[in-house]
Amino acid sequence: MITTINRIVASIFVLLVSVQSLQAREVQADPLNSVMWNNMVERFMPDGDVIFDPRVKVIAPVSAEDQFYVPITVDATELENVDRVIAVADLNPIPLVLTVTPHQALSFIGFRLKLQQSSPIHVGVRTTDGVWHVGGVLVDAAGGGCTAPAAAHMNSNWMKTLGETRAFAGRDLSGSARMTLRMRHPMDTGLAAGIPAFYLNELSVETEDGVPIADLELFEPVSENPTLTIKPDVGDEATTITVSGRDTEGNNYRFPLSLPAVAAAAASRTN
Amino acid sequence: MQSAAPFSRRRRQILQWLSTGCGCAMCGSIDAQILGYDLYATEIASKTWAVHGQPEYFEIGNGGNIVNVAFIEVPDGIVVIDTGPSKRYGEALLALIERTVPGKEILRVYNTHHHPDHFLGNQVFQPETIAAPQKVIDNINAEGDGFTDNLYRLLGDWMRGTLVVAPGVALEATSEEVGGRNFSLFYLDGHTSADFVIRDDETGVLFSGDLAFLYRAPTTPHANIPRWTAAIETLTEIDRDLILPGHGPSDPKGESLSQTSDYLSWLDGNLRDAVGQGFTMNEAMLMPIPKRFAGLGVVRTEYERSVVHLFQDLEDELFQVIDVVRD
Repeated sequence: MITTINRIVASIFVLLVSVQSLQAREVQADPLNSVMWNNMVERFMPDGDVIFDPRVKVIAPVSAEDQFYVPITVDATELENVDRVIAVADLNPIPLVLTVTPHQALSFIGFRLKLQQSSPIHVGVRTTDGVWHVGGVLVDAAGGGCTAPAAAHMNSNWMKTLGETRAFAGRDLSGSARMTLRMRHPMDTGLAAGIPAFYLNELSVETEDGVPIADLELFEPVSENPTLTIKPDVGDEATTITVSGRDTEGNNYRFPLSLPAVAAAAASRTN
Repeated sequence: MQSAAPFSRRRRQILQWLSTGCGCAMCGSIDAQILGYDLYATEIASKTWAVHGQPEYFEIGNGGNIVNVAFIEVPDGIVVIDTGPSKRYGEALLALIERTVPGKEILRVYNTHHHPDHFLGNQVFQPETIAAPQKVIDNINAEGDGFTDNLYRLLGDWMRGTLVVAPGVALEATSEEVGGRNFSLFYLDGHTSADFVIRDDETGVLFSGDLAFLYRAPTTPHANIPRWTAAIETLTEIDRDLILPGHGPSDPKGESLSQTSDYLSWLDGNLRDAVGQGFTMNEAMLMPIPKRFAGLGVVRTEYERSVVHLFQDLEDELFQVIDVVRD
């Protein structure tokens, strides 16, 4: 009897504490009405207020033409003092897609993800005051993006091309630096029968002198042959950027990328 | 463009839906039984009828009836070109043929390519009468089930009972005689890896399949644009009196060829430009479409789909190859 009372008292205490901690921050209701919203907040935005903010623009097609490659562009450049960006696909079996820590980069990221079914995509952008600014979009999709084998496995020698990289490095019309990296990698989720998880999980972008520009963590839902667009904030002069990556089997990839000066890029456009 | 008649038929179809209070295709077999294609045959040449679809994308409202199908009365029977998006469409097509040309035997059914709106009505025809190049048959066998699944997702009960039936006859001759009529057969590719074109040598009607679209934006899920452009060149040189494009009105002047070619050339150039600037796919999707393509049905939707279809190959082609240090 006493034990039961103790248990009840204990659970009331736990309940009060948890209500207290929930009340300690503001978590806005999801305009997309995702059934997984509270779960996404608890798991991936565990501290700080969570507000929906139109300055976090998440651009995605209404309907995914290809559930293996759903293009997403996040533009939160109107926000100041961003220290972290995270993207989740709420209804994916593995929801967390990627995180970006911009050091010397605009809060802009382009990537492609796999969708297991139609899902809300939420992007949280944390500012240095600890507040998560969130944008989201609903994407309709045919099923199965995360549980089918990567296309690479149809090719008997896919390991030969592993890590093969192509890239764009240039300037926007506004002069902003922009780079798109595209690396051959199966990005296996571990959810296709007989194929363990194997994916590029870390990517660091630095200046020539080793000053960090952006650090990215990638997870299973990032599409095969990850293609990532970022905007380094490195001034108008020509410079070299160093990219290093690592996958879940410990393969390291490293390469330099030359970024043209604003003037040179403008001149090549007029030619 | 098409007359107002097909539009009002479609409206009737939607009203029929609304009047039963059924907004989705899944909510009951009794309501679902009212689903029916109201197909209409237009005589585009002597004894040659086109069954025009809407210049749209697959939607519950159109039941996937977005494609042109045709049938011809030849001296000894009927020849059919493509069979529509579902078993139910196939049944409606059979009934339409029987109403239009009663009591004739169907001697030959051609499938122009393996896209689902062109062959999923095959089920209602005799497999040994259905013919296509081997490569079209292979494509149907490889991708047909996936297409059917996706159409069930998009069209719901319209697809009831639809199964993949591959053609029973593999063609390789450059012509064949069917029921007293000679047909020239052309083996091309570019819209897909196998696009089959048929010309009725008597009437001069060229059934281009989806190598030609008219006033409906071309689709590119399996496209190879240089090959497609070359195929259009080939079609331009073939003697004919009329083209029935895969989508859109019948075309006496060859406008479907020039319009398709013009669109593809713009599409390719525009996407090369986007990739050349390091755009994301989403940024590319927002790029403007020239005014001259404004009259093409669903052009924005198809352009956005094409970005997804074509972008990655262009990135592989146009991006700088990087020497990666591995350790």
